This record gives sequence, C-alpha cells and structure tokens, in this order.
Amino acid sequence: MTSRNFKVLGQNHPRVDAYDKVTGRAAYAADVYLPGMLACKLLPSARSHARILRIDTGPAAALPGVRCIITGADFPDVRFGSGALRDRYVMPRDTVNFVGEPIAAVAAVDEATAQEAIELITVEYEDLPAVVNPITSMQPDASTVHPDLEDYQGYGFTMGHNVSTLLDADRGDVDQAFQDADHVIEDVYRSQGINQGFLEPMACVADVEPNGRLVIYASTQGPYQIRAGLAAVLELPVSRIRVVAMELGGGFGAKLRLAFEAFPALLAMRTGRPVKLVNTREEAFTMNGPRLPVTNYIRSGVMNDGTITAREAYTIFDVGAYLGAGPNSGIGHGIGAYRVPNFRLRSYGVYTNKIYVGSYRASGVADMTFAVESHMDHIAHRLGIDPYDLRLRNALREGDVSVSGAVVPSNGLLETLQAVKDAVAWPRQLEDGHGIGLALCEWRSGSGPSTAAISVNDDGTVSLLTGSTDISGSDTSLAAIAAEALGIGMQQVIVAKRDTDMAPYTGQSGGSRVVYSQGTAVQRAANETRDKLIALAAERLGLPQDALGCEDGRVYVLDNEPQGLTFTQLAAASITSRGGPIIGTAALSSMPYTPVFAAQAAEVKVDRETGQVRVLRYVQAQDVGTAINPMAVEGQLEGGVVQGIGRALTEDQQFDPDTGAVRNPSFAAYLMPLAIDTPQIENILIDVPAPDGPFGARAVAEPPGFGPPAAIANAVYDAVGVRVKELPLSGERVLAALKGQSPALTMDVASLRRAEGIAAD
Amino acid sequence: MARFNYLEPHSLDEALRMLADGGDGVRLVAGSTDFLIRWRTGFWRPDAVVCMQHVPGLDAISFNDADGLSLGAMATVQAIEQHDVIRQRYPALAAGATAFAGVQVRNLATIGGNACNASPAGDTLPALLAYDAQCRIVGPAGERWLPLTEFFQGPGRTALQPGEILTELRLPPPPPRTGGLYIKHSPRGAMDISAIGAAAVVSLADDGACRRVSIALGAVAPVPMRANAAEGRLIGQQPTAANIAEAARIAAQSTNPISDVRSGAGYRRDMVQVLTQRTLQHAVATAAGGPAPFGELRRLALQTAI
Repeated sequence: MTSRNFKVLGQNHPRVDAYDKVTGRAAYAADVYLPGMLACKLLPSARSHARILRIDTGPAAALPGVRCIITGADFPDVRFGSGALRDRYVMPRDTVNFVGEPIAAVAAVDEATAQEAIELITVEYEDLPAVVNPITSMQPDASTVHPDLEDYQGYGFTMGHNVSTLLDADRGDVDQAFQDADHVIEDVYRSQGINQGFLEPMACVADVEPNGRLVIYASTQGPYQIRAGLAAVLELPVSRIRVVAMELGGGFGAKLRLAFEAFPALLAMRTGRPVKLVNTREEAFTMNGPRLPVTNYIRSGVMNDGTITAREAYTIFDVGAYLGAGPNSGIGHGIGAYRVPNFRLRSYGVYTNKIYVGSYRASGVADMTFAVESHMDHIAHRLGIDPYDLRLRNALREGDVSVSGAVVPSNGLLETLQAVKDAVAWPRQLEDGHGIGLALCEWRSGSGPSTAAISVNDDGTVSLLTGSTDISGSDTSLAAIAAEALGIGMQQVIVAKRDTDMAPYTGQSGGSRVVYSQGTAVQRAANETRDKLIALAAERLGLPQDALGCEDGRVYVLDNEPQGLTFTQLAAASITSRGGPIIGTAALSSMPYTPVFAAQAAEVKVDRETGQVRVLRYVQAQDVGTAINPMAVEGQLEGGVVQGIGRALTEDQQFDPDTGAVRNPSFAAYLMPLAIDTPQIENILIDVPAPDGPFGARAVAEPPGFGPPAAIANAVYDAVGVRVKELPLSGERVLAALKGQSPALTMDVASLRRAEGIAAD
Repeated sequence: MARFNYLEPHSLDEALRMLADGGDGVRLVAGSTDFLIRWRTGFWRPDAVVCMQHVPGLDAISFNDADGLSLGAMATVQAIEQHDVIRQRYPALAAGATAFAGVQVRNLATIGGNACNASPAGDTLPALLAYDAQCRIVGPAGERWLPLTEFFQGPGRTALQPGEILTELRLPPPPPRTGGLYIKHSPRGAMDISAIGAAAVVSLADDGACRRVSIALGAVAPVPMRANAAEGRLIGQQPTAANIAEAARIAAQSTNPISDVRSGAGYRRDMVQVLTQRTLQHAVATAAGGPAPFGELRRLALQTAI
C-alpha cells in the first residue's frame, strides 16, 4: 500500500511479558496465596438427569479440617445465563442436568481434606429420563431437559421444546432460485465435540475484605463479565465486587464468563477466610463447557457456469444442558465468503443432558466452514469445475452485501486466493496418495465496548490502562499502538494490570476484538494524549499547535527541530498547568463491519491401508491489514492452524451414548496435536488496510483455525478420491470411506421446514 | 487423593518384608507413572505404597551371547531405548521403547512397571513377548521363573502372588539372521496410548526360509498376546509376500479387540493385519543385513503418526 512509514508498527516486538513468563515469575490465579486460605473442591453429579432428593453433608462436615459446605440451596433462588438465555442455577437446586455438574462445594484447610470431605457426601437421586442425542431431543416425544423453558428470561430468540434458540436469516426467493438452478447439490456434515485445551485449568481465589467487599483473583478473559455474573448469582451490587485478572494461561473462549468463581466466593463469605479453587484437568474436561457436536445440512442451487444462486443451510448445535455460549453463530456463516443472492439459513440450539456448551475460537464458525468449504469442493467436482475457479467465481467483492446486510468494504480476499494459488502452484498433479485441498475463511473484526486511558509519567513514559485481559500477546500489540501514536518507543509504555476497580469497563478478550477494537480505543486515547502534549507545548513555547510535531518522546518545532520540549519536561510542566496532569482517554461501543478473509491450502499424504492422514505442508494467506506486530501475527496464524489441524484429525470430545458423560477427560485420550504432529506452516500476510482499524489493522486471531478441517478433507479427496463428511478425519473414518463403508449422515430437513410452515422442498 | 503410608525400602529383602507386612492394601511402585494418575483419580486407594526406587541393583541391563539380555525390572524405558546392544540385537524392543509415551515419562517409567501394570496396550510388552522373555520373580518362598506369556492374566492382572516382586526380565539371544520391528498405531506422534501395537521377530535359515517367527500384538485382546497360528503359518516357509500376507490375515483373526475411545474393534482388527504385515516384511528385510539405524527405527515404529 501507499507510504505508511511506521516507527514501531510492522516490526517484530517480543512480548512485553515474555521475561516474566519464561522465568516462571508471572503470577497466575493458582499462584495467589493469602493468609489463612482454605481450599475448595467440588462434588460432581453422578447422574445425567435426576431430581436431587437429599444431600447428606453430615459426615463430611464432621471431618476435621472442614470449614464449610455449600449446596445449591445456599445460593439465592435466581437463574443466570452465560449465553443468550437465563437457563441455569449456578449450582442446581433440585435437578441435575449432566454428569459432572457441580452440586456441592467444600472448603477445608487443604485440598486433600476437601477432597476427602467431597467423597463423604452422599446424594440421593431420583432419575429422570435423559436425552443425549440432539436429533432425538428435537423429536416431540423426547424427554424435556427444561420443563420451565417458556418462563426463562431470554433475549428474544425463538424457542421450542428442547430448543434453546432458533436463529434465521433469509434473502431473496430461495425456493424459486432452487427451481431455476441447473444443479441442486446437497450434503450433510457433522463435526465433533472440541475441548478448548487451555493449558491453565480454571483457577480463582476469593477473599472478603474487612469492609465486606468480595475480591476475586481470577483466570479470565472477561473480568467485568465475571463481576456481572457474580453480582447476579449472589445478588450483590457490582460495586461490592472487585475482580483482579491474573495472568491468563490460555482461555480460547472457555474463560469469557462466570465459571466456578461463585463457589469459593460464597465459601469465603461464609467462613470469612480466603478460599482457593483450582480445577484438575479432569474437572476442566467434565465441568466446564466444551464445544459440542454440530450437524449441518447444506444445499446449493448452482448454474452450469458455477454461479451459486441459492443456498439453504440447517444447522443443529447440540448445546448440552445449558446455553453456555451465546446464540450459536451458524447463520452468519452459512454462505461463507461468497455472494449468494438467495438463501435460507437456520441455526437450532438444542438441549441435551450433556455438559453445557461453551465457547471456543469463534464458536460454531469452524463447524460451518468445514461444511461450506467441503460443499464447495463437492459442487466443483460435480460440475467438473476447478475448485479454485469455483471459489474465485463466487467470492465476495467490495460492494457486495454480507449475510447481515452490511456492505463489504475494501478487502484482500482475492489477493489471499491468488497468493495461496501461487504458493502451492495450483493446480498440481501429485503422486498417488498425495493431495492438495483449499479452504476459504471469513470472519469479521471483533467489536464491542472498548476503553483506554493513557497517562504521562514524570519520566516521560506513559501508563496504558485498559480493561482487556492479555491474550496471545495483545498487551504487546496495544503497547505498540500507543507507542506509534505517541511517537515513543515500546519501552516507554507501561501496560497496567487489570482490576475492575482501576481499569475502565471493557468487553471480553475474545473473538478477534482486542487489537482491532480495543486497539482503536488505545489509538484514540494516545491521539488525545498527544494532542494535549502538543497543546501544552504550544502554550509554553508560545507557538501555534500546527507549528509543532511529536516524535521520539518530544514535541518539537517543525521549522526548527532542535527546539522543543521532552515528554519529561511536559509532564513536569503539566502539574502546574491549566489543564493539569496529562491523561488521554477514549471509549467506543462498536466498530464498523470489517471483514477478514483468509485462503488456505493443505497438502496431505493418505495411507491407503490405515486411512491415516498426514499433513505435509500448510499454506495460509490472510488479509491482516497492517501487521501491528508481525511476529505476533504469525504466531496467531500458526497457532490457529495447529488448533484447526487438531480439529481436523485427532481432537474428539466423546460422550457416552447413554449417560452423555465425557468419555475421554484427559490429554492422554483427548488428542491435541504436538510439535511432532505439526507440518511446516507458511504464512503470507496480505496488507489491505482496514478503513477503520487502528493504523489499518484488521483482526487476526480467529480465521486461521476455521480452514484446516475442510482444506484437509478436500486434500484427502484429491489424494484418494473419497469425501469424509464427519470430523475428525481419523484413520478409521478415512479407511471406512475408502472401503465405501462411511455411515450415511442425514437430517430430516423436510420436517424442520414443515414446523416453520415452509412448504417447498 | 486418598492418604497412604509411603514406604521406602533399601534392599530387596526389606521390600519383601514390607510387602508381607502390608497385606492386601499395599502396592508396589517403580516409576509411578501409572500409579500417580490412578491414585489421583481415586481408581487405586492403597493403604501403603512401597517405592522401589531406592533398592540398589535392580536397574541393570546386561547382555552376553550365552544368556542373552538381562533387564533389571527397574531399568527405565529410556535406558532401554538408548541401549546400543538392544538397538542392534533386539530392535523390536528398542522400537517399542522409543514409541513409548514421551521423553519425560520414558525417563521415569520402568520395564518391570510396564509389565506389572499389565495394560494390553503397554508399548514394550509385544516386543518382550516376541523375544520370549522370561520373568524372574522373587517372593516369600524364594525365586521362580515364569515365561512372560503366562505372566499376563487380564487387564491389570498378573501371575504375581501376594508378596512377590518381579525383579528381572531375561530375553534369550536371538539366532543369527534375525530381524524385528514394533509398530505402534497412534494418531499422535508422542504421548499417546497405542490403539494397536504389533511386533514381529523373524529368524531366517540358510535357505532363506523362516526358521523362527514370533508375532506379538498389543491392545487387541485382554492381554498382550502372541499370534501363534500366524507364526505357525510362516515357520518353515519362504517369506514370500503371499505367505506374509496370509500370516497377517491369520493374526488379525486371532485377536479379540474391543471398541473404545481410541478405535472401533473392526478397525483394530484391520490394523492388526496391516501392521503385522509391515513388521514381518521389515523383519525379513533386515534379518540378514542388521537393523535399521535408530532414527529410521524410530520413524518406522511411529510410522502411522509421523
């Protein structure tokens, strides 16, 4: 692009917290030790759906060292919602809805005693009929997960029997378009349950200050959201709660909202002593919501030349016992990165008696991308069109209208496609058993409430205060944005730690929003700070403001560079100035629609005898706009692809078909890829500046993880000629496909249409 | 995390006494890599744990042409993986050792612990079976020897009587012109539990026929098993592609796998055939010329994953 002469941006900056982390000095929630602190353990439900008749805590309470035991009855009788619907109690009062649901908590002098006490608690259950499969759950005769669903407070989504949310999006005359199409192609895809796989299990310490305020040291992506959740379930005003966000050891969506913090909080309030809760890995797998399986029906009307004219997509999200993640985002991605003039898109969130659904990496979009991008290749092969050409023909262009109705602004989609085509020399004939597959990914830069404050210190450094928890080096990028805007070095920016008493309110760190949206707030706060510095300098130098520049930590006279005032001098002068000490602030609630596009290619080798797929090479080109910190951008791109490869090949959260219990609650049985499993990943950064991002930056984090399942499935097709429509692409599944024994995936879409009063088929 | 008494003997006699005194509630541990996990989950709740780490002399590895290979029960999997003689003379065992978990676990886990844990999926066990390992067992009544094939009684169950300790595994010297390999079937390149494991050791006669054949399989039956019928099909025969394929097919038929989170039973049986065929082919191909370099052996052992 045109000359953008950055001094800080566009260069590699090691993370500002790197030293603390590699030396083990960074403090996580589990590192918090307070005098007199108790340990908390939780009792999981042993049943998938049952009435709790009696909980006998007597023998546990009598155990020496036990200080307090709480159950659901100890909390206010109030439902809260972690997603779009208030559908759960923080601890069930009379009914458990999944195996693993915490039903009692113990505080004791140490963890071993607390665990011993947990094992002494006896629970009398009366089993209720349980439903585990979401397709079954949608049948009228299925047992009901939430009998009082109609009374729950929600946010205006359509609900039904065992349906938490039904979202829809329509455009044009879809049925006519299908009638007019030269070809109609339909598929059903299924993607698996996925655990977020964060390294640091859930942890928190609750303490009660002498004045009665509750303090939570949390591992969280959203300190303000924890505060709001706690306020709701404990019926406290938010002003009585302070949340200190400790270093975050990975969240990926799992730590966006209130999790278990209410248990140590209430125990601390009851005992007057600090209480710590640290999950085991098994608890992280069985108590805290993962992603659950998704079934996708997708149908396209296509003309002979490959133009897609109609799309219908019905997506069934299993949401488990509670809607733990927002109203699943399937409908926004049912047409992918393509212009489709007519569509009917539906997303069902269906209750089952499984662990509740949680958030993970742009929840639902990877599932949709697997379906849409596999389907694109299916269309291409059916019509005899090159899969690359089909994508190029239908790709969104500037000025097109997105699913949500927003006009697509300038973007680098076509450049990403071309870059990947060139990198892998597409189309290329490979040896037997080898193949290349493509996928196109789309996302939007994350928005939401964002704030920043920058104050100038006596020594000319600045302190940056934001409410965003650092994820994946976002603090470093925010510091770089502040440094660039102020004309100082990275070392001159101090990023303050997060605390809801000190930092201004902000949205969660997730969904590719921190650098884009929060970064915009930082840029604006820095601009205001710079303007105030210039104004003060102008006053002191007796010159107009437009005669001054700001660079290298000083405000100088444009016509006479040696003349000027350093930030140190200005900070000192500000103390007695009319305006007082210098602080710049900014706040915003949302950002304009800014899409992010990425094209990806996987090169694989398939063992025809075992069905095992090995990824030999992975290429991705993403329009990141301005790369704030290229090293961090590449880290994000590679990390996302590795997560996507896990989703494509090995990760599979399995559930008992009868009880719904998690079958593989450990990293020994839930297989995330290791370094040895990861191919060479090549990153191509496309720089089409975002019209509204900070210095032209777009969001980066989410799209890399969307593409691998489809790119790899498409490469498997290219290699051995079979299409696997179910994730993960295990050796077992690929071998079954090679033998022509893949199980048929179906969805009774006709009855879903009928339920809506849609006659057409 | 139930409490237990922790006992640390400094001699075999002391360990035997502690076992005798402890009765049913006492558990012997070596590297503790299985124990700690199962204790934390509450699966094992011993009253007392006898840790063998400080009993001297149980971790020796030695080889001579007359007696073969002696593995002290406390020899670590890492020591076996790194041992030159094992890599040269018992390549299937070196392959099993290198396919085992990850570096940190190999540094702690012991060969005796892997045998006594009696998991059908233990990565060193098929190779030990294929090399005809004998177990030296010491107990209150003295010492006895037992073939490893009789040691495994079921998942987690062994022929050890109360108060007995497995102290050594002995593998006879392989005849000249012997090749071998172990392949672990796993979707991940390290830190994974085998979905299927297959070891084959083949000794060739002067005329090129199979003089001695052993095929051992993991994770496809309640215990690690020898595929005797498949071995019988090859012994005395030329190792042609057709004969090897037929033996592999018989091996698959002899298994009794289960379906679990790692794999379905049908796929396990299919994979027994594929892996048996591949290990036999490699064993035959390397019988005359000696084993592949270790790096290649490691790649072959983990070929389904990396």
